[in-house]
Amino acid sequence: MSAIRKPFFLWRHLNKLRWLVLSLIFMMLVFLPFVHVYQTYVASFSYDLLSENEKELFDIMAALTSPLTDNPADDLDAIKGNTWSGNFFGYQISDPLAVVGQVAAGLSVYWPFVLTALLPVIFTLLFGRFFCGWICPATFLYELNTIVSLSLQRAGIKVGQRRFDRRLKYLVLVIGLIISAISGSVLISVIYPPAIIGRELYFGIALGGVGAGLVFFVLTLLFDLFVSRRGFCRYVCPGGALYSLLGRFRLFRIRRIVENCNDCAKCNAVCEFALDPLHDDFGQECNNCTACIAVCPTDAMTFVIRPVDEPNQGPGHLGKKYKRQQQQKG
Amino acid sequence: MKRRHFLKELVAGAVASSVLKSSLAEAAFSAQTAQRYLRPPGALAEEEFESRCIRCGQCGEICPNRCIEYFDLENGIDSLNTPFIVPRTKACILCMKCGQVCPTGALKPLERTANDILTHVRMGRARVEESLCLSFQGKTCGVCYRACPLQDVAIRVGLLEQPHVLDGCVGCGLCERSCIQLPQAIKIIPNHIIKATAS
Repeated sequence: MSAIRKPFFLWRHLNKLRWLVLSLIFMMLVFLPFVHVYQTYVASFSYDLLSENEKELFDIMAALTSPLTDNPADDLDAIKGNTWSGNFFGYQISDPLAVVGQVAAGLSVYWPFVLTALLPVIFTLLFGRFFCGWICPATFLYELNTIVSLSLQRAGIKVGQRRFDRRLKYLVLVIGLIISAISGSVLISVIYPPAIIGRELYFGIALGGVGAGLVFFVLTLLFDLFVSRRGFCRYVCPGGALYSLLGRFRLFRIRRIVENCNDCAKCNAVCEFALDPLHDDFGQECNNCTACIAVCPTDAMTFVIRPVDEPNQGPGHLGKKYKRQQQQKG
Repeated sequence: MKRRHFLKELVAGAVASSVLKSSLAEAAFSAQTAQRYLRPPGALAEEEFESRCIRCGQCGEICPNRCIEYFDLENGIDSLNTPFIVPRTKACILCMKCGQVCPTGALKPLERTANDILTHVRMGRARVEESLCLSFQGKTCGVCYRACPLQDVAIRVGLLEQPHVLDGCVGCGLCERSCIQLPQAIKIIPNHIIKATAS
């Protein structure tokens, strides 16, 4: 019998780090439109023409950015955009779905743009659907929405628990690309929540008005609340589908240590994507969010470096089912 | 592009005949070309622009003049969330930052030089409505000429400061923005409308 292994003690805390990253990225998306508004005030030398609120914003932003730069109108251009496509100190990073959608819509390949998705693609090949759990600004809101749904449940209001076929989102991806190709317009960006969040936050803060995208996003929140928990990410999101396909043979994946497992199924309950960690069925859709590692009471979940999942290892050795099996054998 | 038109019409026709009324399908699949808006400087031709633009919003987010706005559904679903400029509201100052930040080349990356701007930027062309223009009514004005960033290349003034638009006009709209008449006597005719009426 192999020695009982303990997972590296830090893996358990990765879920907190993930929440930190998600909130930082969301705060960044809220902060950047304010930066832009401040830049336009600076560029137009219009401090004396601003209203009281605008002056307040100007003063706050000036206090925040003056240690970093004395030429805010130009220097603060270093970080622009959102998770759909952004500019980070001169390096353009785009969502792979943006590239695929653009190729479908234009029926042509513009290489400088394709290369902007290189970094996310490499990371997805290594870490799987990590974007969905660690970066996506919509995930941040959807997970808060899950908390709302839990408190609604506690208050006795019925929330949606329906399950659909997870393969639906691949169909959405294909249909979205076909519609983009037929219309000659990157329409897949219209149904992709992280792109919507990035845009609508900018529209709302800097341009003073929100568009149809926000209506769509609120509908997805209601869908998650009253039809199916985390339903959009699980069953509909075209970006999630693309990341899942890219992350099928990811190198870093979570694995169950069968010797430590007691079949409590908390991992299955906590999994945002309705996967089946208890029976070693992580599959291509695991986003390495590490919620199952954090929740496991017996340290039975850990990270391993290998391109495929373990086949089903059977019941956990600390569980009743395994003991019964052993007794029958013995 | 021919094939795409055919496909579009095919789908629009199929949808129209089966589920929706034809007017609704038409609204969903064709842009209202009569609407007078400009694309940001260095934009590709309208149809190509829509297929290139991924609606990331970076052009608007870098514009120091905050003149770039975004379509909602008013110009058809194909232009949803694409950038546009209404020069009378706020005109382009030709800083060329939007093209440099655009990841897809839907707006060409250009330098802020007279050469780059004159050869690659064509947002539209100004047109003077002489019956509205003060200078043509004998009241010397010349505001549009003073506002133009490409004086004597894009616009020149004659007797009584009467404006005459030249071929160098790139359509930034600063003249229309600054015109003191209401309604404005000088208007930018967007490039996509010029092209649609020429063909």
